[in-house]
Amino acid sequence: MVVKEVLSIRGLKKSYPGVMALKGVNLAFKAGEIHGLIGENGAGKSTLIKILAGIVKPDDGEVTILGKSVQIRNSKDSSRNRLCFIHQELNLVTYFNAAENIFLGHSYPRRLRFFVDWKRLKAKTKEITDALQVRIPLDTPVSYLSAVDRAMVAIARAFAVSGDIYFMDEPATALTDIEKEKLFRVIKTLKSQGKTVVYVSHNLDDILDITDRITVMRDGTVVECRETLETTKDDLIRSMIGKSLESAFPSREGKAGAVVFKAGDIHNESIDGLSFDVRAGEILGIGGLVGAGRTELLETIFGARGKDSGTFTLNGVPFRPSSPRSAIEQGVVLVPEERRKQGLVLSRSIYENISMMSLGDISNFGFLNHRVIRNRSEEAGEKVRLKCSSYSNHVGTLSGGNQQKVVFAKTVLQEPKLLLLDEPSKGVDVGARFEIYSIIRDLASRGTAVIIVSSDFNEVLGLTDRILFIKEGRMVSLKDNIDMNQEKYLNCCYGRDS
Amino acid sequence: MKELVSQATTGHLTIRIVRTWGTFMGFLLLLIVFSAIRPDVFPSGRNLKNIIEQVATLAIVATGVTAVMVTGDFDLSVGSIASLVGIVAALLMKAGHGTFISVIIAMILGTSAGLINGLLIAYGGLSAFVGTLATMTAYGGVALIASNGTTIFGLPENFRFLGQESVAFIPVSVVIMILSLGVVYALLEQTTYGRRLYAIGGNEEASYLSGIRTKQVRFLSFGISGFFASLGGIVLTSRLHSAHPQAGSPFMLNAAAAVFLGMTAFREGEANILGTLLGVLIIGVMGNGLNILGINSYVQSILTGIIIILAVLLSSVAKKRA
Repeated sequence: MVVKEVLSIRGLKKSYPGVMALKGVNLAFKAGEIHGLIGENGAGKSTLIKILAGIVKPDDGEVTILGKSVQIRNSKDSSRNRLCFIHQELNLVTYFNAAENIFLGHSYPRRLRFFVDWKRLKAKTKEITDALQVRIPLDTPVSYLSAVDRAMVAIARAFAVSGDIYFMDEPATALTDIEKEKLFRVIKTLKSQGKTVVYVSHNLDDILDITDRITVMRDGTVVECRETLETTKDDLIRSMIGKSLESAFPSREGKAGAVVFKAGDIHNESIDGLSFDVRAGEILGIGGLVGAGRTELLETIFGARGKDSGTFTLNGVPFRPSSPRSAIEQGVVLVPEERRKQGLVLSRSIYENISMMSLGDISNFGFLNHRVIRNRSEEAGEKVRLKCSSYSNHVGTLSGGNQQKVVFAKTVLQEPKLLLLDEPSKGVDVGARFEIYSIIRDLASRGTAVIIVSSDFNEVLGLTDRILFIKEGRMVSLKDNIDMNQEKYLNCCYGRDS
Repeated sequence: MKELVSQATTGHLTIRIVRTWGTFMGFLLLLIVFSAIRPDVFPSGRNLKNIIEQVATLAIVATGVTAVMVTGDFDLSVGSIASLVGIVAALLMKAGHGTFISVIIAMILGTSAGLINGLLIAYGGLSAFVGTLATMTAYGGVALIASNGTTIFGLPENFRFLGQESVAFIPVSVVIMILSLGVVYALLEQTTYGRRLYAIGGNEEASYLSGIRTKQVRFLSFGISGFFASLGGIVLTSRLHSAHPQAGSPFMLNAAAAVFLGMTAFREGEANILGTLLGVLIIGVMGNGLNILGINSYVQSILTGIIIILAVLLSSVAKKRA
């Protein structure tokens, strides 16, 4: 039996000012397959998907659906051709409930033409969530839902209209492994119904786990398309970055020094009695599941969140961060989780962003010395191997990996005693990820104490010296990172061990 | 790759020029049109000097509003502050206090009124729109009560200096305008404070997490706005040589309009001093030119509204195309 191609793309081209995002892409998806789409940031995946969603107009090329050439001028055209999208940003109206969000943009069931039929709306929503075998509270505004439930709402929304091809862009980023399994089950249900799922992700394990075929993109072209069964992770990495990575993590060197930071019996609304310390040059990982209080712990140390009781000590003296500013002044710096929302001012230049945290130190009585600021920023940028054509460009024009390097350059300029990292490689491609790990190692080897929180447990296992496992704000165990593996790690997260 | 980049950039060059220089070109067009219709009156040195003098007070007030709008906030109360400061200065002078000391006290009062806005908005958590709408009404009421709702005449002769006299052929009001523009320009472009204002305007949360005292910075920006509204109020009172409790009212919308027009020029969507100056000049030239053509002031309001819409529309269209 010949498997039908439901959608094929020929010679698709798109250029933006300064970059050619797609340089003639040829690609085909078959009916009833789960198709992985991978590539580094800036490889062109997002542009490709935006074109199919009708958000971006291509410069040239042809899209054929079920043998017919189609024009996709807007999102209506796209859904008419039975294409459904789950975008990376969830795009939910936070004060609407799940049912309202799921039908947003499709038509609400109505009574007397103008009035929303709430009963039917709820019933129809229930049908969808039942078909997906997920349970979401339907009456609560989504702002009160957990990250997972919100992701599920976004996914359910794509199923509110029946489609033939589902595009999912990093749908599992906010999900824990158990919840991811749930999502994968949904995807497989779709496949069994003969639908096509295009799965875009940086997480190669997920891609290898779930897909039938994988397309690799690089620099706006398709590098290769192969059967998942005949592929290994190393193959994928090699074709994504065009070269082989020696190893995923830089090697460890140097020994931990004196205790830099000490937390004693910290309590607040998310933390329930944590005590630990970090030494100079040491990288401490915080292990645990989403909602365990990891981000909250970092925010508390950074002074962005208050504490009810407990003490911090920095280099032997009491450390009382009343605000991020006071933490920074005392030598503690945070690389926040949401780079675009919390880390950068996208509309300002690269050097302005790098110098933002240190403006007070490199100015004369409040007046800027532009030359000094530029030089210092460029020095810091070079240290983190930032690639850009000019430091005057807006940060918003950089790729995700380079944006994250700007955030790191900011902290490098501060020469912190204690560096707090929240998801340091989130949304960063494989190549830049290795460089960011090197930067972290480099900072540690120069005596900075580092605390790192990451959902990617390979990252925690590959980078850290010790791991503090927490659950519901309480310490579960504190382990030296020697002969740890993924299984042990997960057991510790769930609090099964020790 | 390099070739590719330059190609892609030049392709959009015209649009980039329209985006950053479009409003300026519109201004030139305005000058050309008025000059062509009334070549005898409009482009004369006397008339141009007249325009500059007319816009000086608005420009002074708008420089302060620019600082507030850089952070994405808004200040509706500048008109009321200007009126109030004029009334207070006039009352003090009428009560026999020296001109200089009266002006200084009135200005301190006006600047404090701005800081009260800042307190309510930055620390009290009111939205800038609601906060300054409320104080606009309240400060306006104070001005009306203090003056009994009437115009105060008979101010000392030496008070004419700021608004009506010239030094070396340059009107003092224009000197004050240039100084105001210069000071705020330096503040925004050359100081850490200006950097922080722009950072907050771009992303307040990231600014806070980068150690910027976002509340304090926003608080002070309203003080700056209050100071320049006061200065504008004083110069206006001097120019009219009388204080009216609602003399400053037109500043409220015109200053905001000038800053909005300025946001479409030179920089993309950011309030900036050069842009504000351009916005003020467009409003001034429009008013003057239409007066010369004998078009009544009601029609002028409609045209000013249309120009603002056109400028913002054109710049956003150009942005989308790019």
